[in-house]
Amino acid sequence: MLELLPHLPLGVTLESFTDIDFWTGVGIIAGIYTILALGLQLNVGFTGIQNFGQAAFMALGAYSMAILVNDAGMSFWLSLPVSILITIAFGLVVGLPSLRLRADYFAIATIAAAEAIRLFALNARDLTGGAQGLFGFGDDWDSVAETIEGWLSDLGWTDVPTLFPLFIVVWVVAMALTFALNRVQHTPWGRVLRAVREDEDAARALGKNAFSYKLQSLAIAATLGAIAGFFLALNLRFVVPDEFLPIVTFSGYAVLILGGLANYWGVALGAVILWFVLEGLRFVELPLSETRIASLRFIIVGLILIGLMAFRPQGLFGRREEMVLGE
Amino acid sequence: MNEPRGAPADGRIFEAEGVIKRFGGIRAVNRASLSIREGSITALIGPNGAGKTTFFNVITGFYKADGGSATFAGRQVLGKPSYAIARHGMVRTFQITKALARMPVIDNMMLGATDQPGERLVNVLFRPGPWRRREQEVRAQAMELLEVFNLARLADHYAGTLSGGQRKLLELARALMARPRFLLLDEPMAGINPTLGRRLLDHMQRLRAEEGVTFLFIEHDMEVVMNHSDRVIVMAEGHVIADGEPHEVRRDQAVIDAYLGGSAEPDSSDSAEEPR
Repeated sequence: MLELLPHLPLGVTLESFTDIDFWTGVGIIAGIYTILALGLQLNVGFTGIQNFGQAAFMALGAYSMAILVNDAGMSFWLSLPVSILITIAFGLVVGLPSLRLRADYFAIATIAAAEAIRLFALNARDLTGGAQGLFGFGDDWDSVAETIEGWLSDLGWTDVPTLFPLFIVVWVVAMALTFALNRVQHTPWGRVLRAVREDEDAARALGKNAFSYKLQSLAIAATLGAIAGFFLALNLRFVVPDEFLPIVTFSGYAVLILGGLANYWGVALGAVILWFVLEGLRFVELPLSETRIASLRFIIVGLILIGLMAFRPQGLFGRREEMVLGE
Repeated sequence: MNEPRGAPADGRIFEAEGVIKRFGGIRAVNRASLSIREGSITALIGPNGAGKTTFFNVITGFYKADGGSATFAGRQVLGKPSYAIARHGMVRTFQITKALARMPVIDNMMLGATDQPGERLVNVLFRPGPWRRREQEVRAQAMELLEVFNLARLADHYAGTLSGGQRKLLELARALMARPRFLLLDEPMAGINPTLGRRLLDHMQRLRAEEGVTFLFIEHDMEVVMNHSDRVIVMAEGHVIADGEPHEVRRDQAVIDAYLGGSAEPDSSDSAEEPR
């Protein structure tokens, strides 16, 4: 993830710090993590299920799309909904047996399922290209990107960064999804979800099928993961197993903690802060080797998270009251 | 919910026959049989460990029964999922209150409502009209009940900020939102001050009179049991050992034996010495 922009040396000057190409790239990643973490927010923050397999949903979305376009000759646009359905189906297969387990066992089951998907992608070379991955699925997207670029140059902006159209689309989608999830949360359906988070037995005693709501929550998280996967694939222009390591899901959790639990708007803010801190720290000049600086960035992010847990456990947007009452 | 509220032909709304629940080698409920008349207020009493709460859990679908049968309004309930039993109108509360702490009191209440089409995602996304209208009704109904239980001014507070007694009331009020036909209360009086307890009992009587709601409640306060129930069922060691009107049960030798091996009357240890 972090080696996305290898052409930029570490520890450079203000010139790079204001480089629009660089920040467009960072913005896209922040947008992808926003979409990914919206699914986690729905699961963890609003349903109380500890989904640690979000990276697998992302992988399934990206791989399904690439395979359907490359091998099955499906159109890019049709491959998107089909890939979402495949990802949801996987989510249900994982959820049906494991959502009946206690919360911590569910977390273990999801992380195992996610690793199974990644290792499958790594080894099923005929289907997934193994460690080399898949590429060449983005032609339809490229023509859309050109159209957007055309609009921007009509507006008088000539040197549009190559990735800027993707940046726009990622964030339009991320904001639309945030808005939609927020709306749905404030309905009777969302109320049942929160009741399941608080106490499944109480929800059941009032006639709510808690298990069904948990499955629905997981299916929506799978959808969001798949969408994040599409954008990741378009951003990199290839799909490789290494992009779906458990660290991806963990970073999604860092986004949740930063933005605050049980708040959808906090997710975007958390993602932006996480990635701008991580990438911005590249420009800090220190008398250290490059690899040490690279590690230092994670240490600093870690310190920020620890500080947040100590002084503002509800995150930037969360409600302190909800944290305190959660005990 | 929209089923006719008429009593079954023999007037019995609930019947359990030989219900068994095992935990390892122990039979927590051991062939318990009882029946409940529609529109009655029945107390379920018995010493600690008698299997009262386990019996509740079995007949409301929270535990899987190991044997026996139980019918509510003519339908078998053993083996049905808990949420389905609740939807049929057989609603319970818990001994340890389950206030949904990080939800406002009003949301706790509105959750209890049945027939809310907005609880289905499809309707939320594509048919906003009906559930929005239903939501208005539900809110009005919730506020009305909160008034009755003296909780209206706390409507927007998180349920987790309420006192123990208030939570108990909230849980009962929330159960009433489901418009139950048969309400099972697990120690409804525990932790409630006498004034609120009185209110709760009055409300039970009113619900029975006005809407024909049937009550089965587990209670340890013998003053409440003897004065506010039509019928008392006594459990000990997983069995039903006595079943009758309050004045009969308190003289039943088996009951007296079960409670501390023969103290004169079941209530002597509980409320008699409390200062008034």
